Amino acid sequence: MRFIVSTSALLKHLQAISGALSSNTVLPILENFLFEIHDGSLQISATDLQTSMSTNLQVEAKDSGKIAIPSRILIDTLKTLPEQPVTFTINKENFGIEISAGDGKYKLAGEDGDDFPKIPVIENAASVSLPADVLNNAITKTLFAVSNDELRPNMTGVFCQMNGGEIIFVATDAHKLVRYKRKDVTIDSDASFIIPKKALTLLKNTLPDDDSAVAVDYNASNAFFRFGHLQLICRLIDEKYPDYEAVIPTNNPNKLTVDRGQFLSCLKRVVIYSNKTTHQVRLKISGSELHISSEDPDFSNEAHERLTCQYEGEDMEIGFNARFLIDMLSTLDSDEVLVEMSTPNRAGLIIPANQEEEEDILMLVMPVMLNNY
Amino acid sequence: MQRHIVHCDLDTFFVSVERLLNSSLVGKPVLIGGSSGRGVVASCSYEARRFGVHSAMPMRLALRLCPEAVVVRGDHERYSKYSNLVTEIIGEEVPLVEKASIDEHYLDLTGMDRFFGCWKWARELRRRVIRETGLPISFGLSTNKTVSKIATGEAKPSGEREVSGGTEKAFLAPLSIRKIPMVGEKSYTLLRNMGVHRIETLQQMEAFTMRRVMGEHGVMIWRKANGEDDSPVLPFHAQKSMSKETTFQQDTIDMQLLKRTLAGMVDRLAFDLRRTQKLTGCITLKIRYSNFDTHTRQVKVPYTNSDRAITAQVMELFEKLYSRRMLIRLIGVRFSELIHGNYQVDLFSDTTEEIGLLEAMDRIRTRFGIEFIQRGICLPDGSRQRGGQHVTQFT
Repeated sequence: MRFIVSTSALLKHLQAISGALSSNTVLPILENFLFEIHDGSLQISATDLQTSMSTNLQVEAKDSGKIAIPSRILIDTLKTLPEQPVTFTINKENFGIEISAGDGKYKLAGEDGDDFPKIPVIENAASVSLPADVLNNAITKTLFAVSNDELRPNMTGVFCQMNGGEIIFVATDAHKLVRYKRKDVTIDSDASFIIPKKALTLLKNTLPDDDSAVAVDYNASNAFFRFGHLQLICRLIDEKYPDYEAVIPTNNPNKLTVDRGQFLSCLKRVVIYSNKTTHQVRLKISGSELHISSEDPDFSNEAHERLTCQYEGEDMEIGFNARFLIDMLSTLDSDEVLVEMSTPNRAGLIIPANQEEEEDILMLVMPVMLNNY
Repeated sequence: MQRHIVHCDLDTFFVSVERLLNSSLVGKPVLIGGSSGRGVVASCSYEARRFGVHSAMPMRLALRLCPEAVVVRGDHERYSKYSNLVTEIIGEEVPLVEKASIDEHYLDLTGMDRFFGCWKWARELRRRVIRETGLPISFGLSTNKTVSKIATGEAKPSGEREVSGGTEKAFLAPLSIRKIPMVGEKSYTLLRNMGVHRIETLQQMEAFTMRRVMGEHGVMIWRKANGEDDSPVLPFHAQKSMSKETTFQQDTIDMQLLKRTLAGMVDRLAFDLRRTQKLTGCITLKIRYSNFDTHTRQVKVPYTNSDRAITAQVMELFEKLYSRRMLIRLIGVRFSELIHGNYQVDLFSDTTEEIGLLEAMDRIRTRFGIEFIQRGICLPDGSRQRGGQHVTQFT
């Protein structure tokens, strides 16, 4: 088997899917790319068994076949070569690969393409089409809130719920929660599933930043994303998502409106003086003044700042992990945010002060108990 | 630069406090400690020591050696109060004080020698402590913590001792190696088997011999034997862990009792965490079986001070650790990796009611003491029915 392809085109495709590679010591073949040629079309795939990505490009080739090529060595070679056509010659007997580019010849050992795990194909799928920028925005707004706790696997992904003409993305790690609703999407049937974090990270890195359509096919066990020449298949998290609606408090009489940029930069300064593990800050609101403070008694560090704000409700004092607030505020785009609270031991809600019509963002953060007694 | 370090130690501290409150104890052999069959001697008067009694000895044995001794149960809170009184007096006079234990202080007097001499100054301080608290105190003055501590030991009871710079080796030479603070039962046996009895012998040995026998620990002992110790006087000890242990009246495999005891210990420790605004990141469970085999097991947890989260972890540790069908003599719980902070509320596993209950209990306990309100799980079965005095139950 033999094919000719340009270095830069091949490298671009490889880098787009290389995120799906894994260094699996049990299955070392997963460190390879699978190259499959069929009628002059080359399909390259990478997988870690949970998430797989593949891409298509045209090459000059006479015959068909498949081979697994070690990824590290191939990418390193292509990176150092100038733009030029390279010829891959594959020995079907011992899976030896010879790359010739200009005056250079490089040999490496590949593996039998038939040993490469089968990339799942999706069956009985329902589908929905989303503009790439909408999907990208939904991922950016939610991904930071996803849990890394393997003991609670249901929270290690973004919950995607299609319900009555709207699509809802939810992420939580039990300390913070984001709910992102989109109303301008056409949905045929109601469905819900949990997409793992890794797949979404890969999507975020490869999605084009325009409004081109992304086709999403899904069934009970897999989701399949297609955009441009790329495809991503991921196994869905087979768990029950926690009842997030039940924990979003609805009666929050204390409403604080504050400039997002000021609040964010203030928190970024104050958190420097807080404990390096807990990042705990104290918000004290009285009248139209927001007093933000932190302390780290072990190092005698202390910070106090005051912000003017609009406030409706009773004076209160509440503690938060500043990292959560910073993550949330820096993900939002609006000029002002609304912080809704009830008591110091219940969740606080952060909502952009003016939302676009088709969007509905709600962020929730749990407080830390201040033990003021 | 030569330092001037004072180590001071209140003589038979617990006994002295008891005598202060009850003068009929003066001159009598006094034992402080639990009087039950399994109690140990926490402190004893010099009169009792003459009978061969020493602290940490089982009370039963102590009473056999000295049947006429007066046993006092002891009140740790009272001792803390007097200890703080002494710390306060010393703190007023000395800028750099390290409170090493309830009855021991290290003072760094470096620089004071330029005024009227550390020796004179320290003696005046000692007299002031005795005058104002009525408690006997001894001190040793030398150039580092180890030598000062040993000097205090030599000065006791109610004495003073100075080991001036340059004479440390000569002062230590005739003493038993037992006097070196780091030498415990095991090191002592090992060294005695090597034929080392007096510190002098250690001084004459080479450091590498000690390294070969006892590793780095041995080198430390060797340095101390030579009167070398450059550890500073630290005014503040960051608390590294907190723990509670319970020795049962009788060895037991009563699972209910064991779990109840564990829950009770967690309850108290977690309250202490919250009171001091701390979180723990590591929980350790300790079991001692009736044959004194001791097993521990620890688990790292996300930083927490919640009763619920910690109790769940402790019970899980207990299930894993208690594998032998043998009577248990002691169980203990220990929190380490303490950091400053407060509890991060969980969205799904904490309910507002539970958080509210915890807050209300903490508030009551801060005002009326920890015994005032208890969780039902920490009480024995019988008492749960009794809607008595302060027994309020939550399920």
